[in-house]
Amino acid sequence: MAIRWSWASPRIALIPALTTTAVAFLGAILWTIWISFTRSRRFPEYTIDLSSWSRQYERLFNDSSWTTALGNILVLAIGNALAILFGFILAAMIEREKRGEGFFRTIFLYPLALSLIVTGIAWRWIFNPDLGVQNFLRGLGWESANFNWLADTRTAMYGIILASIWHGLGFYMALMLAGLKSINSEIWSAARLDGVSLWKLYTEIIIPMMKFTFLTCAILLSLGVVKTYDIVLAMTNGGPGTSTWTPAYFVVNSFGARGNIGYASAAAVIMLLMTAALFLPLMLVTAWQARRREGRTL
Amino acid sequence: MTVTIEATAFAADRVKVKRRRRRIRGSSIAILVFLTMCAAFVSVPLYVVIVTSFKTMDQIAQGQIFSLPTEWTLEPWRYAWSQTCAGMTCKGVSAGFWTSLKILFPSLLLSIGVSSVTGYALALWKINWAGTFLFILFLCAFVPFQIIMIPLVVLVSSLGIFGTVWAVALVHAILSMPLLTLIFRNFYKDIPDEIIKAAIMDCGSFWKIFLEIILPMSANIMIVVLILMITSVWNDYLIGLTFGGVGTQPMTVILANTVITSFGEVRYNVNMAAALLTAIPPLVVYFGLGKFFVEGITAGAIKG
Repeated sequence: MAIRWSWASPRIALIPALTTTAVAFLGAILWTIWISFTRSRRFPEYTIDLSSWSRQYERLFNDSSWTTALGNILVLAIGNALAILFGFILAAMIEREKRGEGFFRTIFLYPLALSLIVTGIAWRWIFNPDLGVQNFLRGLGWESANFNWLADTRTAMYGIILASIWHGLGFYMALMLAGLKSINSEIWSAARLDGVSLWKLYTEIIIPMMKFTFLTCAILLSLGVVKTYDIVLAMTNGGPGTSTWTPAYFVVNSFGARGNIGYASAAAVIMLLMTAALFLPLMLVTAWQARRREGRTL
Repeated sequence: MTVTIEATAFAADRVKVKRRRRRIRGSSIAILVFLTMCAAFVSVPLYVVIVTSFKTMDQIAQGQIFSLPTEWTLEPWRYAWSQTCAGMTCKGVSAGFWTSLKILFPSLLLSIGVSSVTGYALALWKINWAGTFLFILFLCAFVPFQIIMIPLVVLVSSLGIFGTVWAVALVHAILSMPLLTLIFRNFYKDIPDEIIKAAIMDCGSFWKIFLEIILPMSANIMIVVLILMITSVWNDYLIGLTFGGVGTQPMTVILANTVITSFGEVRYNVNMAAALLTAIPPLVVYFGLGKFFVEGITAGAIKG
């Protein structure tokens, strides 16, 4: 139902949103793309030197900290996938055992209300080699316990992954729980009548039915991973060395600490490309689901 | 159609009856034990932070991270609130608390004001290009902040408000506008036709319908959006860091400066108290309005 009464008022009301979209989103993205082809350093320059328009990108991909950053988001994405898996297991258990649903949901979801800075600081303290969990384990008699992950370039990323899983677990659990609840209740009783084993019920019926929920979770997770910044800053501040840099950290660092706008823009454009590549499947999934939902109500 | 509904309802009833009769079985106990263990694991970091914040440094130095304080002290909390150093200034995290509040209110007003009107116009008024615009908003909602960060710095500087709380609030409002608009639009498009028809007969003007009919109906969605905004604005770090100047940095930035760039003797109990002070407002919102919080994050995540 659309109202045709007034022509001008709704258009006037849309001006702020339209301006914001045009200037702060579309304009800003074009600005960043343009600047990434220039030689801008501390201040933006708008002339593109056509003979070496790609110099920022060439430098970028020869920069070892950038390749580290790219590798790190891959590690982060794989590690964080565990959050989806655990989220599903928890949701399935909560859904099966109705008792205490509200209680468990509240507990699993509270980390999401915390800022990633607070999360990072809490985990940093737990990883503290002298006074944290490592010391506690050694006190119990496990002399070789090594929980000082954040100080080692090889394990620092795992520390960040552990903290991100802790922070995001409840979110995926909530999405999975919503997905499980939308499954028709007849399937459960039909499966019980047919004597289908629990394992088979989940792997062959429930999970295939929830493939869109899984896909949505996976895409949202990847979109989040591309943006990872706060947690890295709070836990390791990019260190040791540059071992825990992420593209987002790289952009902020190039802009803030190095004061190089052109370089930061080039890195940001690559982030945009990654987001776009991840975004396309999300749109397809959303469109597909919308069609399915319409099909069901008809 | 109705037959199937009745049949399902009947089946659901039967399942319910069965469930009620069933006694606690072994598998139930196993599941509950497992869930409780997971809940304990998830709670451990918060527990550790809380007990650490009440310990004296002498006890912390003994290294028993999980033990309860032998002597409960509020001194770290007082110190964190009013005295701890963030970089060069030693005024505690309280300064950041007030700054965060000053950022929060304008950004809430601005973003909710603009997005609710936009969502209403797009949902209920005849605008030919509404579909295209919604699609563009959907795309914008997923743009990582880093991509538009630098041009926004240039833009905000040219407005002459860079480094003030207004800059931070404005950027928050800009960034949240696409998502909030989509949430409002999805809510308003389900308003029944009869109400709209009656509204046109009654008064008819765009703003009058919004203020007198639509807004009073929006209590639920307002709470959801408020929670979404409060937690995201309060927990933000990067926008506050980039757009806030010296003295106008939000609480998360002050906290990060206190803990990460501290030098000299580290007072872990103070750090943990500062972290908790920063975490309390969103936690209060979460535990107070949990149901809406879940709605907010799922709306923010997928419905878009």
